[in-house]
Amino acid sequence: MTSSFILTNRLQYAYAKSKEHRALDNINLEIKPDEFLLVCGASGSGKSTLCRTFNGLIPHFYEGKLQGQVFVAGESTTGQSVAGLSAQVGMVFQNAEAQLFNRTVELEIAFSLESLGIPRAQIKKRIAETVEMMGIEEFLPRNPHELSTGEQQLVSIVAILATNPQIIVLDEPYANLDHVNVRRVRAALNMIHKRQKGIVICEHRLPQTVNDVQRMVGLQRGHIVLNGTPDKVLQRDIEQFDLETPLSARIGRQLRLPNLPLDVPTLKKDAPAISYPTDLKPNLLQSVPSGSSLILEVENVSFKLDNTKILRDISFALRVGECLAVVGANGAGKTTLLKHLNGLLRPSNGQIRVMGQDTSKSKVSDLARYVGIAFQNPDNQFFKLTVWDEIRIGAKVLGRYDESWLQELVELFGLKPLLNRSPYQLSGGEKKRVAFAGALACKPKILALDEPTAGQDLNFRRVLGEVLAHLRKMGQAVFLVTHDLSFAEQQAHRWLLLSKGQIIADGSPWEVMADANTMTQANLEPTDAFLLYGGENRGQVTEDR
Amino acid sequence: MLDPRTKLLLSIYYAVLIIASGHFGWLAMEWGLLLLFVMIIGEGKTYLRWLRMLFPMALFFGAVMWWSVGREAAIVASLKLLALTSAFFAFFITTAPEDLGNSMVKIGMPYAVAFVMSTAMQFVPVISRKAKNVLDAQRARGIPLEPGWSSLRHYPAFLGPLLIQAFQLAEELAEAMEARGFGRPNRTFLKVYLLRRGDWLAIGAGLLILITSLILQRWY
Repeated sequence: MTSSFILTNRLQYAYAKSKEHRALDNINLEIKPDEFLLVCGASGSGKSTLCRTFNGLIPHFYEGKLQGQVFVAGESTTGQSVAGLSAQVGMVFQNAEAQLFNRTVELEIAFSLESLGIPRAQIKKRIAETVEMMGIEEFLPRNPHELSTGEQQLVSIVAILATNPQIIVLDEPYANLDHVNVRRVRAALNMIHKRQKGIVICEHRLPQTVNDVQRMVGLQRGHIVLNGTPDKVLQRDIEQFDLETPLSARIGRQLRLPNLPLDVPTLKKDAPAISYPTDLKPNLLQSVPSGSSLILEVENVSFKLDNTKILRDISFALRVGECLAVVGANGAGKTTLLKHLNGLLRPSNGQIRVMGQDTSKSKVSDLARYVGIAFQNPDNQFFKLTVWDEIRIGAKVLGRYDESWLQELVELFGLKPLLNRSPYQLSGGEKKRVAFAGALACKPKILALDEPTAGQDLNFRRVLGEVLAHLRKMGQAVFLVTHDLSFAEQQAHRWLLLSKGQIIADGSPWEVMADANTMTQANLEPTDAFLLYGGENRGQVTEDR
Repeated sequence: MLDPRTKLLLSIYYAVLIIASGHFGWLAMEWGLLLLFVMIIGEGKTYLRWLRMLFPMALFFGAVMWWSVGREAAIVASLKLLALTSAFFAFFITTAPEDLGNSMVKIGMPYAVAFVMSTAMQFVPVISRKAKNVLDAQRARGIPLEPGWSSLRHYPAFLGPLLIQAFQLAEELAEAMEARGFGRPNRTFLKVYLLRRGDWLAIGAGLLILITSLILQRWY
């Protein structure tokens, strides 16, 4: 036991509300004090639950039945309190809103130190040291809730780091971050790891993490199904566990490279081929169906809020059957633009016409017939007792109730087994599916989805991709707002690249990504698929070697 | 800078003075002084915004008083209400909630109470943002939640999701607090709160002014 800092021994756990279902089953795991570990698995596989046993939240904060033991630094967690364990195992939660509760960043960082009863002079010193190390000095006097999502994630990490725990556990730290912010947080974690700290990350999006970690543990239905170094584990077929192998590793596997490349630069260095296996090249959509009629026209739209211009001079159009993706970094103005489609926001300048109707002169409830929007957080809309009522309500209120269409939607989104359950008891992915079906219930001309894939696993992305393909075939126009470029690459005919409230590029996904300057300006990075296959567009297409 | 407790005490003195004042002229002067203070510390704009919210309430209150007891009493009562709330506005604008809470801990208030006080303030904007999001999501589905009586029947669509999310937030907050050592004994504090000579002087001088003003008001 000397070499491991956290050790679980035949760990089993079942939440109080579902006693017969074991969230964790027979988990034997050792984590070294300076290890960088990835705990991965699809939604509901038990990774968050496992992490909550490391700092005693399970069994002390959550009721339920725990069997087996968890040892931290040689002592069982059952005999210790969560507050006591916090000095050894720090935890960063997914929701920054809830874990930042002080008025300034300085007080936020001080909070845990104050809890530990550290003398005042030392608190000051620790804050200064940690903040300097992470380079966020300028945040100290600011209110955490006014920071951007990426900055909040950094502050959450610093607040934990300051107490100097041996291991920091992070629950899906990248779920709501765009590329640039993911990069910042990754750099911070790598630096912390270099200082002999242990880091445990819970994630299901592998491409962002496998390159950093020393070992990965995969969970499925509460069991450990994968355990080993990334280059070993990724040799296996992990799609069966709803995990996504990074494209570079898939190509490396097919090319039988001796060392599995975990990211694109490594692959390009190890195998500088002009062309990579074509069967792994993603299928992109053919160009926009031209000639079909316009359903949305946006002309020179600007939007001001408290004298700040959030949108500047935006013009574009959407046609029947087209899938348009508005891509951009966190805070680029994507959601603000989305809210203009149905009149929730009205342009300060310019005009928006939906089916020829000026949105400035129409009521939201009128426009709702034409534009069905599903916002990022489905919890914002659930108030009915069953899923079936929740899907129907919009169509009922708008007087567009069509039973057979609703049945079709239920079928399409695979909601049949859930119809009589309460929407609040569903998993995150199931909730999203209900919200999407609800948005389509009144047969809108445009379906608008706000960050549909944020925090969702491979299985969800696959299902949503199939649904969108089906809708496209039916001629449904889709307006997608996202920073998930690999999803948008496969699902959209056309991209609008939004940066600081302006459209700085408009074209097919690969046309947009081909301009490295505008991508940098928008704080986005091209997808792996584009980096590996995008160059072929302009050059000759060579056969698989 | 004065200790938060001193500021609280001074505000209470001022409130006593306002409550004890029964004459239009005195009240106007007391309110005027507050106005001057708010201007000096550079919070005039915030005050104006806040006043705009309060004014209809004071007006309504005054109207009721007028109808029940008469004009003079109504004006005095409305002025009292405005001055009194302004006194506490001046206090809260100059005192951070956690400073008030933590300094009270020093004189025996349980830390948990102080924590709830300061944290509640921090979550007001979070909850109002959530409320806005719920409104947007429901209106986007065609549920008419525009301000007005006709939307009253749809209020469950607004309150339901908001309440449930507030509970979720509370749950997550509790978890995050626990994981950061909340409730461990022997807590220390980053900021120190001491009643210095200046504080005692202010407390003494304030009391003196209060008593003198009260006596003066009896005479004139």
